[in-house]
Amino acid sequence: MLSRLLPVLALSAIVGCGAPDRSDADAGGTVIMTVGAEPDAILPLTTTSIAGNQVADILFERLAEPGDSMNTRGDGGFEPELAESWTWAPDSLSIAFKLHPGAKWHDGKPVTARDVAFSFDIHKDPEVGSPVAPLLARIDSVTARDSLTAVVWYRQRYPEQFLDAAFQVRIHPEHWLGKIKRSEYTTSPDVRSPIGSGRFKFARWEPGTLVEVVANTEHYRGRPKLDRILWSIAPEFNAAAARLFSGEADYLEYLRPENVEEIKKHSELTMTRYGSLDYGFMWFNLRDPRNNARPHPIFGDVGVRRALSMAVDREKAVKNVLGDLGYVSVGPLPRAHLYGDTTLKTPGYDLEGAKRLLDSLGWRDANGDGIREKGGRQLRFSLAAPTSSQTRMRFSVVLQAMLRDVGARVELDHMEIRAFQELLVRKRWDAAMQTWRTDPTPSSIIQTWGIASVKDGVNFGSYQNPVFDAYIDSAATTMDPARAQSYYRRAYETIIADAPAVWVFEPVNAAGHHTRIKVAPMRPDAWWTRIHEWYIPRNERIPRDNIGLRAATP
Amino acid sequence: MRALVARRLLQAAVIVAIAATTTFLLVQLAPGDPLGDLVENPRVPLEVRERLRARWGLDRPMHEQYVLYVRNLARGDLGWSFSQNRPVADAVIDALPNTLLLMGVALIGAFALGMTAGVIRAGRRGSMADRALGAGTLVFYSMPDFWLAIMAMLVFAYWVPVFPTSGMTTAVLYDYLSPAGKLIDRLKHLVLPATTLVLLLAAIIARYQRAAFLDVATQDFVRTARAKGLTERAVLWRHVLRNALLPVITLLGLSLPMLVGGSVFIEQVFAWPGMGRLAVGAIAARDHALVMAVVLMGSGLVTLGSLLADLLYVVADPRLRLHSPTSG
Repeated sequence: MLSRLLPVLALSAIVGCGAPDRSDADAGGTVIMTVGAEPDAILPLTTTSIAGNQVADILFERLAEPGDSMNTRGDGGFEPELAESWTWAPDSLSIAFKLHPGAKWHDGKPVTARDVAFSFDIHKDPEVGSPVAPLLARIDSVTARDSLTAVVWYRQRYPEQFLDAAFQVRIHPEHWLGKIKRSEYTTSPDVRSPIGSGRFKFARWEPGTLVEVVANTEHYRGRPKLDRILWSIAPEFNAAAARLFSGEADYLEYLRPENVEEIKKHSELTMTRYGSLDYGFMWFNLRDPRNNARPHPIFGDVGVRRALSMAVDREKAVKNVLGDLGYVSVGPLPRAHLYGDTTLKTPGYDLEGAKRLLDSLGWRDANGDGIREKGGRQLRFSLAAPTSSQTRMRFSVVLQAMLRDVGARVELDHMEIRAFQELLVRKRWDAAMQTWRTDPTPSSIIQTWGIASVKDGVNFGSYQNPVFDAYIDSAATTMDPARAQSYYRRAYETIIADAPAVWVFEPVNAAGHHTRIKVAPMRPDAWWTRIHEWYIPRNERIPRDNIGLRAATP
Repeated sequence: MRALVARRLLQAAVIVAIAATTTFLLVQLAPGDPLGDLVENPRVPLEVRERLRARWGLDRPMHEQYVLYVRNLARGDLGWSFSQNRPVADAVIDALPNTLLLMGVALIGAFALGMTAGVIRAGRRGSMADRALGAGTLVFYSMPDFWLAIMAMLVFAYWVPVFPTSGMTTAVLYDYLSPAGKLIDRLKHLVLPATTLVLLLAAIIARYQRAAFLDVATQDFVRTARAKGLTERAVLWRHVLRNALLPVITLLGLSLPMLVGGSVFIEQVFAWPGMGRLAVGAIAARDHALVMAVVLMGSGLVTLGSLLADLLYVVADPRLRLHSPTSG
């Protein structure tokens, strides 16, 4: 195969790469990502999947990026993207963003302030139904002061107003998207080959097989160092991992613990760890699954929940399931988060203390069968976990064994992911192994644990404490960072004391990749943020790195 | 013959309609929300989910959804795949040729291998070759398809990397190969999934073929042929084998459901972008329209295969033509 390729590669070396200037001299190379999930869409406006957002983030740009600090309050730490500078109005009710004069769409047309105004308009339009729309509720309007100045007008001042304008909306081209009916943004075939302004431009999407982007050599901040990125889709995890180990692919974004040992056997592969914004927990349903109007007969008592938390040796569980790829959770905010706080006290392992606590609450093993009872009811409950997550299934097994020691009988209920989701939504469950991915915005914790999200949101365990909500609300509205930090800490202390879950683990992300690929530091919320800085040294390149920028000829 | 074909086509249409309706009911009644991922996404508010539900008609009662589906189907509209964000017809058009390629190669390979093994076993009954092939076919006959696929990948794509692990072509480089290079690349990717299906199906065919061969070998006309003084080779090839092929033709129809079912696992393991993988993804996503399309295609394929086998049987066996009510 290589012999057939050589003429092609030689040609591409002469013609395909063109005559790069000095700064582009070392540019080149291909990275093949092996991925399990295919994007639902790659238009930032409509995608709701992680896979879709990954491609969308690479093709499109925001006004500014939070940078490695992941700060979300004010504009500290933000790095310019499409906007080269910004000016706050004296009353802070508007911010004027000055666009980079060299910014162009992939079809060569300039990026203008009208595009910015158009982008906010379509994101807020109910007919489009963008998931970002609720985050823009406090933005009144966006106007174009001149061709390069877009002004964002707010209804009120708030700490994260810059984030909402600069980060939540990716800028879309009006001259292209404006021609498509807004009601057809998810259905039009045109949106499957989008025109963005990012450092990579769309090349092709073969459903079920691959998505490819190539370097935008005309980018106003310089071309990316790689020539192309390709997401190669293999829905079965082992097939996806096998592609990495066989050399057919270069990068696997999440390794499983069992892959870590395998990586060590391959000298051509290496592993890059990066933080995670995920946390995993054993969730208690605080309402009775048979009648949600009543408290749960076991978990309605905070004492029982605390006792069960104390009965779980989380250090041991994490070591057992995740090995080096996990930490013991510090509560509903992972340590990689800007507001993550490792000094928070979560219930430590104390089996004897747990037994005493349950005794004091009247849960005793009177008949000696190893299961505690109270008022004729056994300390017995089901623990649901989705079969799509090996991690959660393994934790459920470990927790089942640990809770047996305290006299609780746990019946495992492993099920297909959609059935699991339905179980959660209908609240017909006792306990469930769940993971949440936190938003960089700390106040977004209200969406998962706040009272308002019990009815229409994702607070399926029905945890409700107005004190917790009040602390989060105070933290989100105060302009003083120190006070905000203090409110957040009190909110976390409140929820940890209420024990609506056993806070079990935080995964440590580890990407497996070929050693020739030199990756940039990876941000926990989006490892691909600096993918334009990745490079492959010229002397380490393999045949597929030398194709250049020529379009494929299928 | 025409009446037979018309009758069987009518039966096939009824079978497909029953399969589709049953699938529709099962998919609707199965636990799980097509918008499950959005329901679990704290950033997606209720109104966005409800709007999407209305857009895809998921907020309507089941019978209305069914009537709408049948009406659209009658107009040739297979619907919209909300998991793939494109028309179902486009998804099927992309996937169907890949499955037909895999199944076609598997079918030809399985019949060639299975019939050869069956004839060798019957011709050398009780020999070492018979016993060895018997053990081999039994192993593959009783082996789960997904397990064999994973083992094949482990051995031939990982431990001894002579074939690619998955997919239909080599990512990136395929597009820059010469036409001959592209063909070789496709064939290399075809080897493991096709061989897995071939081994599983050939094991069944070999056992059928051996039994049919031995059954025919004891018939009077075979004894007559020998009595006429024909060589053993001529007896076996002209008289026994030809007649022993008839029951195997039935297997052609029976093997299609097995291939369709088997390809679901094989395509999933080898990331082969065909109908099987489409089916798994559609079921997982509760993408009703796509599931229905896959079932329609699958059941249509199976019933047509059965019809083809029946017709081949009539063509191959003159006795059936003689007794056919339309023959004369």
